[in-house]
Amino acid sequence: MYCKKECIAMLLAGGQGSRLYDLTKQTAKPAVSYGGKYRIIDFPLSNCINSGIDTVGVLTQYEPLALNDYIGNGAPWDLDRARGGLSVLPPYQNGRNADWYKGTANAIFQNINFIRKYDPDYVLILSGDHIYKMDYRKMLAYHKARGAACTVATITVPIEEASRFGICNTNPDGSIYEFEEKPAQPKNDQASMGIYIFNTSTLIDYLVLDEADPNSSKDFGKNVIPNLLRSGERLFAYPFSGYWKDVGTISSLWEANMDLLSDSPELHLSDKSLRIYSKNTARPPQFIGAGAEIRNSMISEGCIIHGTVENSVLSGGVEIARGAYVSNSVILSDVKIESGAKVCFSIVDSDSVIGTGVSVGNEKGDRSDITVVAKGSCLTLSQNNENGGSTK
Amino acid sequence: MSTSGIIFSNLSDTTLSRLTSDRTVAAIPFGCRYRLVDFALSNMVNSDITDISIVANYNYRSLTEHIGSGKDWDLARRDGGIKTISPYQCAHSADAPMYSHRLEAILSMSEHIFGMKSDVVVLSDCDNILNIDLNAVISVHRANGADLTVVTAPCTPSYSAKLPQMMLKTNEDGKVIDIVKSTHQTASHPERSLNIFVVDTVYLQQIIEIAKAHNYRSMTDDILMKDTESSNFYSYCYRGFVAPVGTFIDYYESSIRIATDPDARLSLLGRRERPIYTRVHNSAPSLYKGKGKVTNSMIADDCVIMGEVENSILFRGVKVGRGAVVKNSILFGNCIIGENSSVNCIVADKSVTISDSCHLSGHDTLPFYVSKGKHV
Repeated sequence: MYCKKECIAMLLAGGQGSRLYDLTKQTAKPAVSYGGKYRIIDFPLSNCINSGIDTVGVLTQYEPLALNDYIGNGAPWDLDRARGGLSVLPPYQNGRNADWYKGTANAIFQNINFIRKYDPDYVLILSGDHIYKMDYRKMLAYHKARGAACTVATITVPIEEASRFGICNTNPDGSIYEFEEKPAQPKNDQASMGIYIFNTSTLIDYLVLDEADPNSSKDFGKNVIPNLLRSGERLFAYPFSGYWKDVGTISSLWEANMDLLSDSPELHLSDKSLRIYSKNTARPPQFIGAGAEIRNSMISEGCIIHGTVENSVLSGGVEIARGAYVSNSVILSDVKIESGAKVCFSIVDSDSVIGTGVSVGNEKGDRSDITVVAKGSCLTLSQNNENGGSTK
Repeated sequence: MSTSGIIFSNLSDTTLSRLTSDRTVAAIPFGCRYRLVDFALSNMVNSDITDISIVANYNYRSLTEHIGSGKDWDLARRDGGIKTISPYQCAHSADAPMYSHRLEAILSMSEHIFGMKSDVVVLSDCDNILNIDLNAVISVHRANGADLTVVTAPCTPSYSAKLPQMMLKTNEDGKVIDIVKSTHQTASHPERSLNIFVVDTVYLQQIIEIAKAHNYRSMTDDILMKDTESSNFYSYCYRGFVAPVGTFIDYYESSIRIATDPDARLSLLGRRERPIYTRVHNSAPSLYKGKGKVTNSMIADDCVIMGEVENSILFRGVKVGRGAVVKNSILFGNCIIGENSSVNCIVADKSVTISDSCHLSGHDTLPFYVSKGKHV
């Protein structure tokens, strides 16, 4: 059945996120928790539906169980549609061969038939690694207005960190004359956000070309974008301003959570104009007991608080016993912190138990000294910090 | 062997008048994020009853908005699922009166009941809040070979209801011998009806025939209390926590109780095997800022608390300003309590704003109600 869409999104969600260590041992990075009730992938998916894009292919590969379970049929984002909607696209076998996705470009290449099915004029390429709110419609309008073949969203980063990113060197009119992936000597501070809009025909042509190149690493930033430039295609940088956080490391993930607690947060989760949707579990409201003390914290549904919580973000169903103390930490869902336990500067993954009297994390820690407690750990006094707790 | 459900949404409208000025009883907010109908619905869904009708006769806009397609209760089904039955006037009976009794409501949907494929129907009001395994009730109903089983709660001798209720006398097998209407229990009638009934579909169809033939209007007066002993009625005595919400003061006391009594809260909301489902709003988690202090309270999502909150229930999106004090109160969605204000023993309906440095107090026997959208 012919089902034309103007623009569809392809969301690269196969990343391992190896620098998140234990947090991504059993979970793909896009399914990592953030901000109490969200997962990273909620941001690009919510941005899509808030931008009127109702057809999204989610490309999965690494540890897809938790991710697949989470996204389901896309209903939480209103992406369960009779025409279009959300499709999970894992690597697959075909008549000729069976291949893992070998790079971001190869992953899209292997799903060209999915793209063709919707006959879109434009394809939006997204990754599931960042926390940001963006109206992709504005970027698409910018792309159309400039008659671009490809538009790359960029954000200003501190120049000393610019060598971690793909840097766009642009002319005054916004057109890109050079794209450098992780340059040692960056020429400016305009970093690619890993968000691209392509004219569909351009995308398919260059993916086919790239696939035929045995020396290519099949990557958008390293191969496809430079190839477009070499061939003289019209590439434009779309400057985005607003909150954008790469949560690829333990310290950046911790920091992104702490950003929500600042007095004037740059990212407004309760702002209803670009709302972030997430899968809701049927948890009861949070209950704050008689002895509880909560200071500057974000608390989610199903939490039961009898102890002290400060400067922390708690996911659903966390129980903090009387006499327990939690500060400067991110506590993921269904963690139990027993009486007398102390958790500081830590990220405690879901279903863990911090036993009576156990102390986790450095009380005088900072963003570079965050302790991670792996999913399902059970720390008791006799084996305090022996295993389960890994430090980064 | 399947079961259908019928939920009556309006039966206590008059006794909860303040809260029902623009909503039906079923749609009254309760317990931070729920509406009363969520408990009846979740009890049914958790007992595998997935063919449910909600009978609503007026003020049902907020109810239908809340229910939507039924997706949040997993009731958006190809077969069965949920439907709202609202009154309509037939061409031949344009002067038919609006129903106000359970039996009249049943008569109005007799065509639906005669078309039911299930062999048992659960009828439920929304005036008692509990988390019950209806499968257990249905098994006992079947084992007794009963026509109708009334779910009851045991009453202590000190029990005193605000309104007369059905009090049951049963024999040692649980068969109902006699029913009276009273506000107090007596030694002979120690169980009160929770207005949840399990009925054989065939018997319900017979009731409809009898009611039509005799022009009966009341299920209680004309069916249950008539020739009780010779009928085949049984009781199922539920011993868990029940929150009565049939009157305004009941509603207030039950709400404060689930905020402050952990056992009541766990019995109602904390059962992992039987969660209470409700409409999902995608609100952000709540923020505790500044010198706020919260004790013994239940807080929904998207609240921002900068003041003091004690023994209270805050619904979604409530803001408590710096230096404000909220005690023994129930604040519905999007209420704003201004800086250095205080409220005590109030029930504030949706979107009430209390200005800065404003003090408002009811009494725990006479809580003060502030109507929807009011600026104080």
